[in-house]
Amino acid sequence: MVESQARRFFGSRVSRIEDDRLLRGRGRYVADIELPRELAAKFVRSYEAHASVAEIELGDAVEAEGVHAVFTGADFADSEIRCVSSYEGFQVSAQPILALDRVRFAGEALAMVIADDEYLAEDAAEMVFADLAPLPVVLDLDAALASDAEVLHDGWTDNAYVRRAVKTDGFDKAAAGAPHRLTIDLRNARHGAIPMENRACVADYDRGSNRFTLHTTTQVPHLIRAGLALAMDVPESQIRVIAPDVGGGFGVKAQLYTEEVACCLAARELGRPIKWVEDRREHFVASHHSREHRHRVTGYFDDLGRILALEADIRVDMGAYSVFPWTATMDNGMAMGILPGPYKIREYSATGTPVCTNKTPYGAYRGVARPAACFSIERLIDQIARHRGLDRAEVRRRNLLGADDYPWHSPSGLVYDSGSLAESLESVLQLGEYDVLLTEQAEARAQGRLFGIGLVAFTEQTAHTHQEFKQRGVPIVFGYETAKVRLDASGTAVVSASIHDHGQGLETTLAQIAADRLGLDLDKVRVEYGDTNQVAYGAGTFASRSAVLAGGAVTRAADDVAATLKEVAAHELEAAVEDMVIERGRLSVRGSPVVSIDISELCRLTYQRPERLPEGIEPSLESSRTYDAAPGTGAYTNAAHLSTVEIDPMTGKTAVLTYAIVEDCGPMINPMIVEGQIFGGVAQGIGTALFEEFLYDENGQPQSLTFSDYLIPTSTDVPDFAVAHLETPSPFTIGGIKGMGEGGAIAPGAVIASAIEDALSHLGETVVTDLPLTPERVLTHIDQAIAQGEGQ
Amino acid sequence: MLDSDDIGRRRREPAKRAARDEIDMNDRGPVRMKPPKFDYHAPDTVREAVAVLADVGDSAVVLSGGQSLIPMLNLRLARPTDVVDLGAIDGLANLEPVDGGLEIGAMVTHRQMETNDLVASITPLAQHAAGFIGHRAIRNRGTIGGSIAHADPAAEWPAVLLALDGTITLASAETTRTVPGDQFFEALFTTAKRPDELITSVYLSGRFQNSWGFSEFQRRTGDFATVAVAVGCVIATGAVVEARIALAGVAERPVRCPDAEQALIGTRPGRAVDAAIAARDSFEPVGDCHGSTEFRKRLVFAETKRAVTQALGPDLESRANA
Repeated sequence: MVESQARRFFGSRVSRIEDDRLLRGRGRYVADIELPRELAAKFVRSYEAHASVAEIELGDAVEAEGVHAVFTGADFADSEIRCVSSYEGFQVSAQPILALDRVRFAGEALAMVIADDEYLAEDAAEMVFADLAPLPVVLDLDAALASDAEVLHDGWTDNAYVRRAVKTDGFDKAAAGAPHRLTIDLRNARHGAIPMENRACVADYDRGSNRFTLHTTTQVPHLIRAGLALAMDVPESQIRVIAPDVGGGFGVKAQLYTEEVACCLAARELGRPIKWVEDRREHFVASHHSREHRHRVTGYFDDLGRILALEADIRVDMGAYSVFPWTATMDNGMAMGILPGPYKIREYSATGTPVCTNKTPYGAYRGVARPAACFSIERLIDQIARHRGLDRAEVRRRNLLGADDYPWHSPSGLVYDSGSLAESLESVLQLGEYDVLLTEQAEARAQGRLFGIGLVAFTEQTAHTHQEFKQRGVPIVFGYETAKVRLDASGTAVVSASIHDHGQGLETTLAQIAADRLGLDLDKVRVEYGDTNQVAYGAGTFASRSAVLAGGAVTRAADDVAATLKEVAAHELEAAVEDMVIERGRLSVRGSPVVSIDISELCRLTYQRPERLPEGIEPSLESSRTYDAAPGTGAYTNAAHLSTVEIDPMTGKTAVLTYAIVEDCGPMINPMIVEGQIFGGVAQGIGTALFEEFLYDENGQPQSLTFSDYLIPTSTDVPDFAVAHLETPSPFTIGGIKGMGEGGAIAPGAVIASAIEDALSHLGETVVTDLPLTPERVLTHIDQAIAQGEGQ
Repeated sequence: MLDSDDIGRRRREPAKRAARDEIDMNDRGPVRMKPPKFDYHAPDTVREAVAVLADVGDSAVVLSGGQSLIPMLNLRLARPTDVVDLGAIDGLANLEPVDGGLEIGAMVTHRQMETNDLVASITPLAQHAAGFIGHRAIRNRGTIGGSIAHADPAAEWPAVLLALDGTITLASAETTRTVPGDQFFEALFTTAKRPDELITSVYLSGRFQNSWGFSEFQRRTGDFATVAVAVGCVIATGAVVEARIALAGVAERPVRCPDAEQALIGTRPGRAVDAAIAARDSFEPVGDCHGSTEFRKRLVFAETKRAVTQALGPDLESRANA
């Protein structure tokens, strides 16, 4: 039980502490780190998507200017990345650090050149020639599952990493008894997070102590340490991972990469620090991709449009290897779990198949599977509305979970803690002026313009801990996070945490929490993270968990320290401990505020005047605590998004005109940061909806290798946002906090698809099922709608 | 708050001096750079520049604004032995009215074209089209001469040059010659410019200043054109007597469309649609990740119709339509 404590900073829009450093160019990123005697690495990458490696001819590379070494697969053959799911029947892939006898995606590293600087390394890398004998490529996930498909890993029976199924007992009966059914097939394109900073690492090996220090661009330092220990067969105590400022992660920096292992091994081999900085062209092929889902979804519903049962087949193209620490089943597990979404669906049947193909391996990206799940269920709801001749908002009203339904045990085994789904929907209709928009739409149509309204409701599973990850079959079950709070002799608090801040504002929000618990001003609190030597263990920042879990751990640790302060103060003031009030830099006696003592004075006393401490109190103002929000299936944020689009009827180009969001993530630590997270997420989601796609040719050659060919939304593609908040606290978490880092990115694909379909609905019927909605694809929908309309 | 143009002006001059006085890359020993190795030349005059080109022209590239060349070098797609940087040469960035048209120095930036009053009054089509080139940071550095020499078939300037009956002036160590735009663009990234020649200026006619149109399809603001259409017309007593329609992004080079131009001549109604159909049926643009051939043909129709409608003006076209 957490004691109540006055909230001075919690809930206020304080400016981000980290921005002073980051916006003035004073951040320190991995590429800024220069270690004495460091050398640079450049990787030679496969130009084939699938081939056997006949020979790697090093040619003149070894003798080239500034070159110290060239490594190939055999040099690092004792290490590999192997991430095995606990699901029964999981087929195991082993990713070599440098390719051995076979390459399985274009961009897979074949050799590593070490030189005095990265440019000499690049010059020498061009001299390495890999003789590759092409093998049949497997690029399409459905083709990969065909019985005659080339099997990509030795010893596998087919290209499915695993096949899974869940089904409620009453599903068959409910489905058979439903008066209506609708099936749609949906596709989300392969795309990725595309942070501003590419990946980079600097590995250092100390021969004296046999210890590695890896500076790397990661969201999950402790997990990288765990992964390196496994890959290199070295105890974790011999590895220190440091993640300094990181220029955006969004999931793509939440996996262990072969380059990190390679740099560590090369550093040990050569006895010199090895630095590698990825360039953007490499990033497009070597950093993990995401989002490539295909779903077949069937809704069984009644005359009123109420869903009686839901059926889903979920296939995800996971690329060539299972990634650490998520395995190749992450997206499938998440999608199968969350697909019923915010709706009162009791009967559910789902099958899931993560598929191995000759593409870049697949990792996390903001929202993990939830954008695809939201797209599927929301597209289905829209089709049900059309089938029943109902307004889209009304069908949602009839299906959404009500306030009385919590805690809701979903048919996929999740426990939804709380929410305000119906209220969010009504609020967004008001905020977005739905009634006015309907009038505007009628006017636009009279002028021959294509104007559409999109509407989506969703629930965002956040801060899920051990139960969720156990269910997903990952080898390391992520639960708790750790925070250490220490007051120094000057009265300044240092908070060290196992999470990592790379844009989320956690340096500020955790300081807000600690400042409140310790009665300090914000400038008396410093938040540190990103060094495995600071706190013992934890997972890192992903899955919208950091504010909840690190926030909870900070609360606990700060309360421990505050309790010690109260003991010392009570002794000093000759008052009862339970009468101590901690506030605004002082401890005072309840009811007698003049009887007080400064926290800084108490800190000095504790460390420097041990003879004045009460009996039994150690001269220490430090506590390290963990927090794992029971019951471990998460706190459920919910939101509703409403957007309008206009389509150019001649070119199919779609402009997003307005975008309204009502979000309920429980009590907000800092509403400004919440809104920043929402806006950034929606901007990325607009990329999902309209632009982003990694394309391959028929030989598996990547076609999206620059920002000319891989389009991300820019400021002119993102509208102004209208946002409003509801605050339903979670009964499961300290402070009732829920996560919200991913929500913005979840809905836009579904919202904009809904709006585009709506913009064409007066012409005729067309069902929008594939993302991104490129102008060409939208033109096809216009043609379909017109043809269908004329055919009637 | 400083206007970003002020910042650009304040910084441009010192940067230019630095290029001449301080950076002598060949004398600095090992140079750390992303591109493949090359020799760097920073001549002070056109005469010096063409002398260098006469010497090494076959495998040299000319660096102007660097907005295409530098990325190509960094991607190691371009592998020249020599780079000849024009940044230190004075006198290549002048704008001068000549014979009713505009003589434009090769080093005039896109941003100058977008903001200069002479451009706006004499060649308003060029002023309008300049705003479609990249983003402002690109327009601040990129130059008209560089774009025309690069001859990207999707770029704006080559199409504008054709629509405004432009010419290109080329200097070499031996001679200076002027080539009509219609004969300049030969193939993908290939022009009539010889390796030993330097573009010193381009000339755009002013006779289309009262009847012009430009329409471009970009996936996002600032992207290369998927399709762009530039139209220049001469109208006499209500009738179109001359029409030039040039398209970017439809072939391996910027091209005019004679059938569409012919459709505009006279006073018939429905000319915008006729020209758009003619343009659509004239080309088979190669499909890529930004759209198929069929999609691009529809864009040709849409953008031609829009550019022609703009050129003829709503009054002329609607009266004719009525």
